Amino acid sequence: MATAKDLRTLGDREVVALAKAGREAAYRELLSRYERPVFSLIYRMVRDRALAEDLAQETFIKVLNALDTYRPEFKFSSWIFKIANNAAIDQLRKREVDTLSLDGAPGARTADEVEATALQAVDRGESPLAELESRELGAEIERAIGRLRPEYRTAILLRHVEGRAYEEIAEVMDLPLGTVKTYIHRARLELREYLTHLRT
Amino acid sequence: MADKQLDAGDLDLRVLRELTALRSFAPSRGFPDRVMARVRLPQPAALVLLRRAGAWAIQPRRAVTFATAYAASVAIALRLTLPWLSSHWSAVKLAVSWIGTQIGSLANTLALTGADWAVRSGVTDAVRTAAASGKMWPALAALSIGYAAGGYGFYVLLKAPGRTDALARS
Repeated sequence: MATAKDLRTLGDREVVALAKAGREAAYRELLSRYERPVFSLIYRMVRDRALAEDLAQETFIKVLNALDTYRPEFKFSSWIFKIANNAAIDQLRKREVDTLSLDGAPGARTADEVEATALQAVDRGESPLAELESRELGAEIERAIGRLRPEYRTAILLRHVEGRAYEEIAEVMDLPLGTVKTYIHRARLELREYLTHLRT
Repeated sequence: MADKQLDAGDLDLRVLRELTALRSFAPSRGFPDRVMARVRLPQPAALVLLRRAGAWAIQPRRAVTFATAYAASVAIALRLTLPWLSSHWSAVKLAVSWIGTQIGSLANTLALTGADWAVRSGVTDAVRTAAASGKMWPALAALSIGYAAGGYGFYVLLKAPGRTDALARS
């Protein structure tokens, strides 16, 4: 019987096969692999942590309860990201907000709430000044991402944050490859434009 | 930072670098357990059929139908068997008595065989000696504790997470 340690060495298809056979550990392995990427994508799309958790939870429940419909010829990651992206897009449409609050969750009222719910930039081991610049630039980028159209946001997050191939992004978004490349190109142009105050 | 100016090329590179370095976020603690609480693990086909049959039968109107059918079948069976029993009562009594005698005789034989073995093997002498030397009760206590420990160990083994599977969860 595959142990939890063995499962980590298996590919997604093998883990899914074990999950279909009834192994709870296989389900948890899938959760463990995709918990952060899926949550991060949804969080950056909807910009509300509590809502993102609900949507991520619904995504996983939907996926794990429908494993018997999963077709192994397609990548599992494409399937789960597709469902996650659709959940986020549906939520955005319900709220009829294409461009969201740049700082903090939409429901944030006080300065403390805005600070607490704003997406935080990464902190790397650079010099204090470089680290400050990096953190500020990262925060600016998070804000700029929030201003992108949902389709551009999905494309750029999957490409540059999650490191997915163009073909996989096309599968996730159910779009032609050319359209995906166009979206990513336009997203980068828009990000550059939003961040233009940082230029000479 | 607002005062820091960047070349267009530098900005592009830094934007790309920052994008790839953006942190990933984790949901709150307990997220996997909340998800798993609502996931239906696949179950053996026979168990699924049994559950479906049970769910189907338990519907109020069907339950009444089944109960009525059951009562009717019992009544019909009794209606058929009781007159027969009544007319063949002496034969039935004889048969029951014979079966009882055979069972009694078998039990008697087993008891005698067991007693004979206990005497021949020296178990009886050992117990008498243990009782006389006062070692019997500690021995019995040790045996009981060992048996209980074995039972608990068996329970823990069956309960171990690594052995959880669809059948165990059902």
